[in-house]
Amino acid sequence: MIQKKICMVGVYATGKTSLVRQFVHAKFSDKYLSTVGVKIDRKPVQVRDQDVNLLLWDLEGRDGVQDVQTSYLRGAAGAIYVADGTRHETVVQVYELRDLVQRTVGEIPEVLALNKVDLADQWTVTKGDRADLARHPWHVFDTSAKTGDGVEAAFHWLAAAMVGAP
Amino acid sequence: MTADGSEHPAPPLGTDPATPEDRAAEFARLRTLLVGREQDAIAELRERLERVRLTPDAVAEHLPEAVALRAGRDQQLARALGPTLERAFTESVRRNPQQIARAIYPALGPAIRKAIAEAIAGLVGAINRALDESLSVRGLRWRWEAWRSGVSYAQIVMKHALVYRVEQVYLIHAETGLLLAHATAPDLSAPDADVISGMLTAIRDFVGDSFEPGADGGGGLRTFSVGDVTVLVEAGPKALLAAVVRGQHPPELLRRLQETLELLHLHFAGPFARFEGDAAEFEPSVAILADCLETVVETHRPRHRSLAPRIAWVVIALLVLAIVTGLALRHRRWQRAVDALDAEPGVVVLDTDRGWRSWRITGLRDPQATAPAAVLTAAGADTNRIRGAWTSYLSAEPSLVLARAERTLAAPASVRLRLAGDTLVAGGSAPTDWIARARARAEAIAGVSAWRDADVAPEIPATLGAAADSLALTRVLFAAGGAELSGPALQSVADAAGWWRALQAGVGEEWVVRLDLVGRTDSTGSRELNRALSDERADQVARALARLGLPERAVRPRGIGTQDPLPARDLEERARLNRSVSFSVRLDPASPMQEPRP
Repeated sequence: MIQKKICMVGVYATGKTSLVRQFVHAKFSDKYLSTVGVKIDRKPVQVRDQDVNLLLWDLEGRDGVQDVQTSYLRGAAGAIYVADGTRHETVVQVYELRDLVQRTVGEIPEVLALNKVDLADQWTVTKGDRADLARHPWHVFDTSAKTGDGVEAAFHWLAAAMVGAP
Repeated sequence: MTADGSEHPAPPLGTDPATPEDRAAEFARLRTLLVGREQDAIAELRERLERVRLTPDAVAEHLPEAVALRAGRDQQLARALGPTLERAFTESVRRNPQQIARAIYPALGPAIRKAIAEAIAGLVGAINRALDESLSVRGLRWRWEAWRSGVSYAQIVMKHALVYRVEQVYLIHAETGLLLAHATAPDLSAPDADVISGMLTAIRDFVGDSFEPGADGGGGLRTFSVGDVTVLVEAGPKALLAAVVRGQHPPELLRRLQETLELLHLHFAGPFARFEGDAAEFEPSVAILADCLETVVETHRPRHRSLAPRIAWVVIALLVLAIVTGLALRHRRWQRAVDALDAEPGVVVLDTDRGWRSWRITGLRDPQATAPAAVLTAAGADTNRIRGAWTSYLSAEPSLVLARAERTLAAPASVRLRLAGDTLVAGGSAPTDWIARARARAEAIAGVSAWRDADVAPEIPATLGAAADSLALTRVLFAAGGAELSGPALQSVADAAGWWRALQAGVGEEWVVRLDLVGRTDSTGSRELNRALSDERADQVARALARLGLPERAVRPRGIGTQDPLPARDLEERARLNRSVSFSVRLDPASPMQEPRP
């Protein structure tokens, strides 16, 4: 069975951990996030009849990019950035996060989850923003940790990209 | 370009040369034909010479390539350069050791630190175990074992302390934290091994980053403990080896993990290089990991020990038991003796001091009390070991007051003394001189505040016994039918009066000697007549005594006729003896308050 390490990065309160919880049955409690700065969960998925074991490293992001412990990024085969659609600044910070990941692990398959799509009426993501986002190689998903919208799709897309069968 | 200029087609030989150029060409052709072969050889040689004469520039250009080329082909270059390099290195170290030290420090430093840290960790572990065990029962047993076997205590501790179990071994990809292989003890399962593997990596990174930032991969967490469980992490360039150990593991285990990790790096160099997330290639490593799983239990001593030590133990235990029991019994006996002594009237135990060989008792003792030694002996104590320090005192204990009174008053056997409160009461009978002495002394006895002797019947003192006896034997005899006092009769009365005076003088003024006069008759005549005659005879003697000066109250006449006659050998003698008045002596108190007993 193939195993892949995925790092989830995102600024504080973007619903990153909730996304993981939506996706997996957690083994460790969330307190690891605040103590060690990372929480790891497993999610087995199938990509074209191939079993892939995703190991999700949920990295704590308290205030900004400088808080992300780069050693946790090492060896990641894929990355999921999480931004809060209702808070414009988090969408901007995603670029910084991406730079950091790129510097640490190089080019890897990436997914950007624009979270809280269930609060679409409060969204601050403009058409221009979307155009900017589209210029980057990541795949953008609108997700909701609350309703589960787009979550499975985002993870599956990333899994497929990592095993080279998008 | 070639030397022979063969690119031009040569004109046929033998034709006349028209021009000097043609002639020159002709000559050249001829020369070629004659010495062309030699010319070629010379040109080739020259070219070779040119090539051999390499400039430093040319060498610099080709050297790396040439070295790489040759090194790839065989080991000749390495062999050739080896001695030169060694000499150069030696020379360099000799000339400038600092430079070399600085250069190799990054490589040597961590290695040395690692070696020292491991040695110290092992030492600390051994010391800790020794300290932990040094005061326990097991520690004492080990000391005993060390003493008996002549092996050092530290070695015995080491021998016993090796109790641990390697429960799980993880082989973890160093870069990604992904689980490559995993082995668990047969009775355990680890369903989340992959997640745990990731978390272990993360925690290791976390600790490394927190306490040794910048030391990329070199540092990191090597050992951490949770309760009884210790996780040992060995880090290699490609992978980590983590072992979950329960109990006290020996330092050898770390070394073993290191060796295992090195072995895995060697065997799986290819898979490590190719690793893209598929751990299937590491399947065979599980067997190597499983070799690290082990359960080491306390090594039990072989059971073929001889019986002698055990018998010695039993004997020692019995001895100890006997000593303890003996001490307990001794203590109980001692306590019983002290209690008995304390309960004894007239003895007050103030302090006891129990030494190892002898006992000491301090207290108060009434002289009348039973001797302490006797009490202790009766209570079963060995009085030879007891030293008593007694201070005399007078006890108010009734029995002791009575004993003291008896001793002080020297009461004769006929006297019975008793205490009524603090009044000493006497009963029975006693000579008047004793009574007088007792009256004088009784109230001075400690514990006695009053004396009562009203119930004591007075007796004639022994010193007056002869006078009393003489008086009792005196008979005033009368003629038949008469009551007149004859000459001898008057003499007898006078004798009696003399005895009386002697007695009265002897008993003192507190007593009155009373003479009971008993008049009798012989058996002739009527009873009434005899009774009257006996009264008359007693009265005659009483009157005679009064005439001799005896007070009235000292004489009490009484006639009994023929009743209770005096015994005699024959009738005639009996008649003569009974025509008489006899005397009996009584003592009455002189004071009218003290009435004589009825």
